[in-house]
Amino acid sequence: MNFDHTPEQAQLRDAVAAMGKRYGHRYFVEKAKSGGHTDELWAEAGKLGYLGVNVPSQYGGGGGGITELAIVCEELAAAGCPLLLLLVSPAIAATIIAKHGTTGQRERFLPGIADGTLKIVFAITEPEAGSNFHRLSTVARRDGDDWVISGRKCFISGVDEAPLVLVVARTEDAGTGRLAPALFVVPTDAAGLTKSRLEMEIVSPENQWMVYLDDVRVPGEALIGEDTSAGLPALFSGLNPERITAAAMGVGTARYALERASSYVSSRSVWGRPIGMHQGVAHPLAHAAIQVELARLMVAKAAALYDSGRDLEAGVAANMAKYASSEAATLAVDTAIQAHGGNGMTTEYGIATLLGGVRAGRIAPVSREMILNFVSQHILGQDKSY
Amino acid sequence: MKIVVLVKQVPDSGAERNLRSDDSTVDRDSANNVINEMDEYAIEEALKLREAHGGEVTILTMGPERAAESIRKALSMGPDKAVHVLDDALHGSCALATSKVLAAALKTLEPDLVIAGAESTDARGQVLPHMLAERLGAAALTGARKLTVDGATLTIERQTEEGYEVVTASTPAVVSVWDTINEPRYPSFKGIMEAKKKPVQTLSLGDLGIDAGEVGFGGASTAVVEHARRPPRQGGTRVNDDGEGGVKLVEFLVSEKFV
Repeated sequence: MNFDHTPEQAQLRDAVAAMGKRYGHRYFVEKAKSGGHTDELWAEAGKLGYLGVNVPSQYGGGGGGITELAIVCEELAAAGCPLLLLLVSPAIAATIIAKHGTTGQRERFLPGIADGTLKIVFAITEPEAGSNFHRLSTVARRDGDDWVISGRKCFISGVDEAPLVLVVARTEDAGTGRLAPALFVVPTDAAGLTKSRLEMEIVSPENQWMVYLDDVRVPGEALIGEDTSAGLPALFSGLNPERITAAAMGVGTARYALERASSYVSSRSVWGRPIGMHQGVAHPLAHAAIQVELARLMVAKAAALYDSGRDLEAGVAANMAKYASSEAATLAVDTAIQAHGGNGMTTEYGIATLLGGVRAGRIAPVSREMILNFVSQHILGQDKSY
Repeated sequence: MKIVVLVKQVPDSGAERNLRSDDSTVDRDSANNVINEMDEYAIEEALKLREAHGGEVTILTMGPERAAESIRKALSMGPDKAVHVLDDALHGSCALATSKVLAAALKTLEPDLVIAGAESTDARGQVLPHMLAERLGAAALTGARKLTVDGATLTIERQTEEGYEVVTASTPAVVSVWDTINEPRYPSFKGIMEAKKKPVQTLSLGDLGIDAGEVGFGGASTAVVEHARRPPRQGGTRVNDDGEGGVKLVEFLVSEKFV
């Protein structure tokens, strides 16, 4: 068993960390509070190839895997910049298009995703169906060569920043008459597509949206893959990268919070010695650090399994990594705030700003309860409970 | 234009650094070894010149086996190739001997321009660029905060405590740079992946025609006789404001020659 990064992965980690530090959490919070986006950071990371590490090299990417993308997510978060759209455009959209898109779709979309000049966001969740694609009500019907899509999506990240959204809809399978999922690349300014912002209690420059599709007409080539049979495998292929990178972002956020707390408790002195010398202060942080490192190991395992093509095992590991990471990140941020006392809730110390984000991590992109269901069913052999 | 950038591997200046107790050289084993910070600015300057004028950028490093990591890292920023002078006999070399070895390596590379960091964070001598220029018979343009190249004419703004001097010379030249000269780039992922395929030539003292006795402890012109850790910081002076606080503050500043 080998726990080492390759020299190139180690160097990528250093390089992303160094770049991320130059922006830092203050930049992230300023953008969030002013309603801006982290465009400068995104553009620079794109130009340096950090956003496209996992995109195949023939389409302008780095030719690496989810291991590399997880490194990028973790290090940017550890620098105080947990960018949600990394999970969406490079992790989900690039993977789906690279694995299941047509040659034309790969040539058209991947180079832009790789250098950061194109963001493609992802719309699966619906008000009535959550992420359960069996119950999706968004439907695409064929009309000549076109597809016409209608439905509602919620909690869709970054629709305002992206020219394109990958919409998961259902089509009627001509052979069986059953409804099967299919994915469509839809312009966010298409006629019939409207959006409204969901006000969230998360300090983030990336916004959440309701998206309404009212007879949105797209050409035949908007369908991912040669025909609708690509839909189901395409959908599944995007989910593990999303979970692994989400877990990596959680771990990075947790590291950031613990680093802030460590530096605070070693420099703040009360009654003549740093408060970090008190076990009551240090032990909770040490406990959180252990949980974070355990989650981090699971992220590395899930990414390694995914990159070696062992999808089933990767699915288990990705779910566990996502679960462990979101629990550890919530604990780390909460513990870091407590160690800061009142300062922990100030904007200046830059930790309470992470509360909403890490808390949401226990719900999205897949809730902890759904992961526990998955483990109950697939690891413990229990009957499906829902 | 053929440019050679001198890159030195040093212990991370942000962490605790030590001298070895047995031979008073830098303790590399217990340190996180990194590219000397100022050398990254030298690399950046070379890459900018290559972008503007074409040519080739070579990294030159003298150092032990582990310096290869720093060479790879330097190459990931974009230089074309590297030369690593590697020989166990070099351990303990003084600045003069180091300049002899680097000058010999530079002669094999025949550069138009050598760029170096103005100083290393471990030795902080600032002497090597001058010594190299002397040995190569090249112009020394040191302590630059700005460099412009017009054909064979080089102009620098030489940073001084009061301001700057404009100094001009022709190639071949040795230019040393401060961290005010540019903002070094981060290695791109492509650069990182390509670095391992770039050629790194290893040269021994024998390859350079230098006898082992001329370098190392035996050939050193200086010796570290004694060393001690810097004493811990003192508590400082506390001024309590009993109505005369302002005066006392100024008196303190005057006594320390701050004002």
